[in-house]
Amino acid sequence: MIKKVNGFEILVHWTMAVSFFILVISGFGFMFKLEQIGSAFGGFAQMRDIHNWAGVVFAAALFLTTFHYLPVALKFTSDDVAWLRKGGGYLSKKAHVPPQDEINAGQKLLYFAVLFSGIAISVTGVIIWLRPNMDDLNKGVLLSFLIHNISFIVYLIVSPIHIYMATLANPGTLRIMLSGSVPLEWARKRHAKWVQKMGY
Amino acid sequence: MTNHWIDLRNADVILVMGCNPAENHPISMKWIMKAKENGAKIICVDPRFTRTAAKADTYAPLRSGTDIAFLGGMIKYIIENNLYFKDYVVHYTNAAFLVNPDFRGPGELDGLFSGYDEKGRKYDKKSWSYQMDESGIPKKDMSLKDPNCVFSLLKKHYARYTLDMVSSITGTPKEKLVEIYELYGSTGRADRAGTELYAMGWTQHTTGTQNIRAMAIIQLLLGNIGMAGGGINALRGESNVQGSTDQGLLFHILTAYNPVPTAALTDLKSYIEKHTPATKDPKSVNWMGNRGKYITSYLKAIYGNNATKENDFGYGWLPKPDEGMNASWLNLFFKMYQGKFEGFFAWGQNPACSTPAATYVRQALGKLKWMVNVNLFDNETGSFWKGPGMVPKDIQTEVFLLPASSSVEKEGSLTNSGRWTQWRTAAIKPMGESLPDSEIANELQIRVKNLYKKEGGTFPAPIMNLTWDYSEKHEEGTIGKVDIHRVAKEINGYYLEDVYDKKVDPPKLLGKKGELCATFAHLQADGTTSCGNWIYCQSYTQKDGKIINMMARRGKDDPTGLGLYPKWAWAWPVNRRIIYNRAAVDMNGNPWDPKRAVIKWNATKEDPNTKKPGVWEGDVPDGPAPPMADEKAGKYPFIMQAHGLGAIFGPGLADGPLPEHYESLECPLQENPLSKQRINPSASLKIQQELGVDLAKYFSCDLRYPFVATTYRVSEHWQTGVMTRHLPWQLEMSPQLFVEMSEELARDLKLNNGEKVIVSSARGKVTAVAMITKRFQPFKVMDATVHQVGLPWHFGWQYPEDGSGGDSANILTPFVGDANTMIPESKAFMVNIEKA
Amino acid sequence: MGRMSILVSPELCIGCRGCQTACKEWNQLEGEKTENRGTTENPPDLSTRTYNKIRYVELPSEKNPVRLLFVSQRCMHCGDAGCMKICPAPGALFKTDEGAVAFDRDKCIGCRLCVTSCPFNVPRYDEKNKISKCHLCADRISQGLTPACTKTCPTGALRYGDRDELLGLAKKAGYTKVYGASDLEGLGAMYAFMDPPNIYGMKENPAIPESVVFWDNVLKPLAYLGLGGAVAASLLHYVAFGPKKYEDGEEAKKDEQ
Repeated sequence: MIKKVNGFEILVHWTMAVSFFILVISGFGFMFKLEQIGSAFGGFAQMRDIHNWAGVVFAAALFLTTFHYLPVALKFTSDDVAWLRKGGGYLSKKAHVPPQDEINAGQKLLYFAVLFSGIAISVTGVIIWLRPNMDDLNKGVLLSFLIHNISFIVYLIVSPIHIYMATLANPGTLRIMLSGSVPLEWARKRHAKWVQKMGY
Repeated sequence: MTNHWIDLRNADVILVMGCNPAENHPISMKWIMKAKENGAKIICVDPRFTRTAAKADTYAPLRSGTDIAFLGGMIKYIIENNLYFKDYVVHYTNAAFLVNPDFRGPGELDGLFSGYDEKGRKYDKKSWSYQMDESGIPKKDMSLKDPNCVFSLLKKHYARYTLDMVSSITGTPKEKLVEIYELYGSTGRADRAGTELYAMGWTQHTTGTQNIRAMAIIQLLLGNIGMAGGGINALRGESNVQGSTDQGLLFHILTAYNPVPTAALTDLKSYIEKHTPATKDPKSVNWMGNRGKYITSYLKAIYGNNATKENDFGYGWLPKPDEGMNASWLNLFFKMYQGKFEGFFAWGQNPACSTPAATYVRQALGKLKWMVNVNLFDNETGSFWKGPGMVPKDIQTEVFLLPASSSVEKEGSLTNSGRWTQWRTAAIKPMGESLPDSEIANELQIRVKNLYKKEGGTFPAPIMNLTWDYSEKHEEGTIGKVDIHRVAKEINGYYLEDVYDKKVDPPKLLGKKGELCATFAHLQADGTTSCGNWIYCQSYTQKDGKIINMMARRGKDDPTGLGLYPKWAWAWPVNRRIIYNRAAVDMNGNPWDPKRAVIKWNATKEDPNTKKPGVWEGDVPDGPAPPMADEKAGKYPFIMQAHGLGAIFGPGLADGPLPEHYESLECPLQENPLSKQRINPSASLKIQQELGVDLAKYFSCDLRYPFVATTYRVSEHWQTGVMTRHLPWQLEMSPQLFVEMSEELARDLKLNNGEKVIVSSARGKVTAVAMITKRFQPFKVMDATVHQVGLPWHFGWQYPEDGSGGDSANILTPFVGDANTMIPESKAFMVNIEKA
Repeated sequence: MGRMSILVSPELCIGCRGCQTACKEWNQLEGEKTENRGTTENPPDLSTRTYNKIRYVELPSEKNPVRLLFVSQRCMHCGDAGCMKICPAPGALFKTDEGAVAFDRDKCIGCRLCVTSCPFNVPRYDEKNKISKCHLCADRISQGLTPACTKTCPTGALRYGDRDELLGLAKKAGYTKVYGASDLEGLGAMYAFMDPPNIYGMKENPAIPESVVFWDNVLKPLAYLGLGGAVAASLLHYVAFGPKKYEDGEEAKKDEQ
C-alpha cells in the first residue's frame, strides 16, 4: 500500500464534500422553494443560516485544498493532451490512456472547475449574504446572484460526474479518500509516472 | 358660510383667495375637484404657489395685504364691462339708494371718508347715511344714474383702481388680472354661479373686514348670493369654531351674535332699543326687528324662573363692559402684560404660541397670580415659565393643568363652516383623569356657587341665579354628571307657557307648556319662551309630542340634487342650507337658474301651514312670504338687513362704507400708491400709544426689516401644533419650523436649501429651516422688487423636547388688529433673514 | 373575483398626505425622526415604517411659477412580481386573492434579494431583518373593505376597486394610456398620467432585471437538466461501458509497448 493522499487532505476533502451536499440541497431548496427541504433544515430561515455557514466551511476547505494540488494541476503536459485525446479512456470499454502522473487531465479539469466555481460561488455568496458597501449594491447583488447560480449549475453538472468517476467508474478510487493509501499495483496501473517518480 | 361645503361642487367658477383649502381644508377639495370634473374653473390668488394653486386652472400671485386693490380692480372691471347682473343689482341690492350728498370718499379726500377724527382715529358716520323720503324709506334711483346713488358712488370710488394701479400695488401681472376678472366676471350671468372661499388670508389684516366686504360687493354685483354654487364662504379654522362663535365665545357677543350689552345700556328696554334695527319699508322683513324676543328668551334660558318681568328678566345680572372697552384678544394680553390680571383660564388654547408678539405674551403670563391650563397636553402656555428666556425662580404664577378629553371622548354637537350642526357620540371613554370641558365647567360653576353660599361676595346674583340644571338626578352634595342633551335642549328653548299666535283669529296654539320650541318664529318677548340661542332654535325640538335631536339625523335623501341633504343633521337657521336664497329667484319666485334651483315658488300648491295656495319648494326659504312681486305680501330677499336689500354701501363698519386699499401696518412701501393714507385710518393704535410708541413710526418703513412675511398653516399640522406635534405620524411629515422664500432672495442672501436661518422682526426672532423654492416669486411693486417669505405657526419650544421643532412664528407677528374685529394682522408684516 | 387594483390619479392629488397617516395608523407603524431638508416631502424615503409617501415633483411651467405634482410612491403590486420571483422562501411573499403582493414576516428569511429584483425600489427591511412594504391592506381587503389610504383620500386620487372598472373610469376621465395597464402583467397600482411617466419621476417600461428573468427562465431549468443530465450520463456510461478495470499487468504492459 502506498500513500497517495495525507490525512489532512482527507479531512479537508470530506469537509468540503459534506458542506457541499448541505449547500447543494439547501441551494435547491431555495432555488425551487421546496417546502420539504426547508422543513428538513428546520425552516427556511434556519436553512439560510446553515447554508451561509456551510458556505464558509466550504470556502475554507476549498482554500485549504487549493494548494495541495495547485502545482500539479498547473502543469499541462503531453500526457494531458494524450489523456484528453483518448477521452480519458472512458469512451470505450477497451480504450486506455498512456501512463499518467499524480493526477490526470480529467482530474485537473475537475480541480479547476471546482476551484473557479468555488471562488465565484463563495465570493458572490458573501456579497449576497453580507451586502458589503459598494457603489451600486443592487447591481452588485444581482450580478453576484447570477454568477452564484451559474456556478451552482457548474457544480450540479460536475459533481455527479466526479462522484461517478470516483466510485463506480473507477473501482478502488474511494480508498484514496478513506485511508489515503492504495495498493501499489493499482496505483501503477493508473498513475504509473507518479509511482515511478515516487520511487516505488 | 352663506352656502355650505357640498355646494362648492355646484359652482362654475371658484375663486380661492385668502385661503388654501388643499392644505387646510383638504376634505373640501373633494367638492372642489368634483366641480372641476363638471367643468368648473378654479382660480387661485395667493402670494405663494400653494398646493391649492397646483390644482387651479388659473393662478395669480399677489403681495400679502393688497387684496382690496385686487378686488377693487375687479369691481371696476365688472362695472365697466357690464358683467354685473342688472336685475339683481337694481332690485335686490341697495345700489339704487341715494346717499347723503355730504358723503365724500377717498378719491376726493385723498384716502379718507367724510367725518374722520384724526386724533381719535375714527369716523363720525353722519354723512354715511341715506336720503330718506317722507315715509322714512331710503330714496332710490332705479336707473342707477343719480350721481349720489350707491352705484354711482361705487363706480366713482373704484375708478382709481385701474389695471396699472392694481398691478403695481399687488405685483400681479396685468394680463393675469384681466384673465381673472373676465373669468370670474362671467358668473354675472343668471345661469352661471361663482363662489368665493376665504379664511385668514383675508381676515388677518388691519383691513380684514373690508377684504370680505369687497368680495360681498362683487358677489352682489354678479348676483351670486343665494345661488347654488355661489355665496361668500368662510372656511373656518376649526371643526367647531363656527359653533363657538354661534354660542357667543367672542368678547363682543352673547349667543346668536346678539351684542354684549355695554354699561350705558342700563336696562333691557334701552338694550332692545339700541340694538333693534327699524325700517319703515313694508317690503323689508327686517328680521332683527325681533331682537327683543331673542334677548328675553335668552335671559329666560340662563336665569330660568329667577328671571321675571319685574327684574327685567335678569338683564341686570349680565356682565357689561364699559363704553369703549374692547376686550379683544390683543387688548386682553396687553392688559395682562401690564399686570392687570390676577388669574387666567387658558381653556383649550395655547396663547403662548398663537398670539402675536408671543415673547411678550409669555412674559405677560408671568405677571399672573394663577393660571389654569385646560388642555389635552401640556403646552408652551402651561409651561411658559420653563421656556426660553424665562427665569423660573422670578415667576410667581401658580399654574394648574386640568386634563381635558378630546373630541372623540365626548358627546355633543359640532357646527361646521356650512352651519351644519352635527351630533356626535363618544367613541371611547375619557382617558385617565381627563374630563370633557362641560364637566370641568360644571364642577367649577358648582364650587363657585358653593363658595358664594358660604362666604358671600360682592355680587353673587349673576352666578347664583343661573339655572344650570344640566345634571341628571344625583345625590345631594355631590357633583352630578352633565347630560349634554339638557344643554342642547336649553339652547333650543322651551315654551314656558302655552304659547299662541295672537295675530290670527282664533289664536293658534304654537306650542304647549314644557315642550321644546319648534322654531324661533315662536319666540316671545314677554318671558313665555326660553331659548339659549335663537339661531339654534329647532335643533333639538319636539314634534307631535316626540322629542327629536335634529342634529343627530342621518337622512341621505337629496331631493333637489344640489347636495342640500335636508335630512342630514341640521343647519341653522331652521335648517336653511343656503341662506339669502330668496335672491336666487326672480321677483316672481322663479329660479334665476332653473338647472340649479335652490327654491321655487309653486303658486298653486297649498301651503300646509296657511292652507292657502302658494308655497316654496326646495330648500327652506328665507321666510315663507310670497315672492317679491306679490303686491300685498311680497318681501325683499335680504331679510337680515334693516332695509331688506343687499348692502353694496355698508355704513355699519368702522373704516368705511366701501372698501379702500390701505397698506399693512408694517409694509415695504413708504407711501400708499393710492392715497396719502398709508395705513387704515381706523386701525386702532391705542396699545401702541399706551406703550408710548411714536406713531410716526407707523407711517414709514423700517429698513432693518426689508422683506414682507406672512404666516400660514399646512395640512400636516393643526393650529399651534399642541396636538399634532405629539403625533409622530404628523410630526415626521413636517418636523420643523421653516421659512419659505424665493430662489432670488436666497441667492441675494447666499442661502442654501435646508440650511438654518434666523428670521427676525421688531418683536423677536426665530430659527427656521430655509425652504428655497420657485413657489415664491419676487413681486414687482411700484417699480421695485419686493420679496415675500412665509412661515407656518405650528411649532413651539416645548415639544419635541429637544427643541428641534423650533418655536412659534408668532414671535414675529405684529400686535395690531383689524379696525372692526381686532383680529391680529398676522398675514403681512416685515422681517429680516440672516444665516444662523 | 376579478383582480382588484388601485388607481392613482396625480391630477386629483392635493398632496395632503392623509394617505401616509392612514397607512401608519392602520398598520400601527412608528413615526420616523425626520428633519426638514428644505422640502415639504418627508420622510425622505420609503422605509420599514413608511409604506407609502407622496413625492413632490416640481417641473418648469410656462404660465405658473412652477408645475407642482404630487405623486404617490408605493408598492406596485405587479402582476409579474420581481420580488416574488426571486424570493427563495416560500410564502414570504405571496399573492392574495385580490391580486395584492403581501408578505409574511414569519416566513421571510431576510436575504434581501427582493430588494434587487423590484423595478420600483419598494421592499425595505426592519431591524429584525424582515421585509416591510405596502401589502394593499391585505387584512382589510380580504374582509371586503378598501385599503386605508384609499378610504382616507378626499379627492379620489387613490381609488380601490375592480381593475377593469378602474381602467374604465380612467378612460372616461380622458386618460388614453394608463401606466401599469399591462406592464409586468399589469401593475396593481396603476397611474393615470397626463404626460409621459418620466415627468412624474416614474420609469418608462419598468421591467424585472434581465439577469433575474434569465435565472428564472433559463438557469432554473438548466439546474435540473444539468444535474439530471450529469446523473443520467453517468448511469448511461456505466451501463454502456462499465467500470474501468485494469487486468493484472495486461493493460499496463500494453501501454508500455
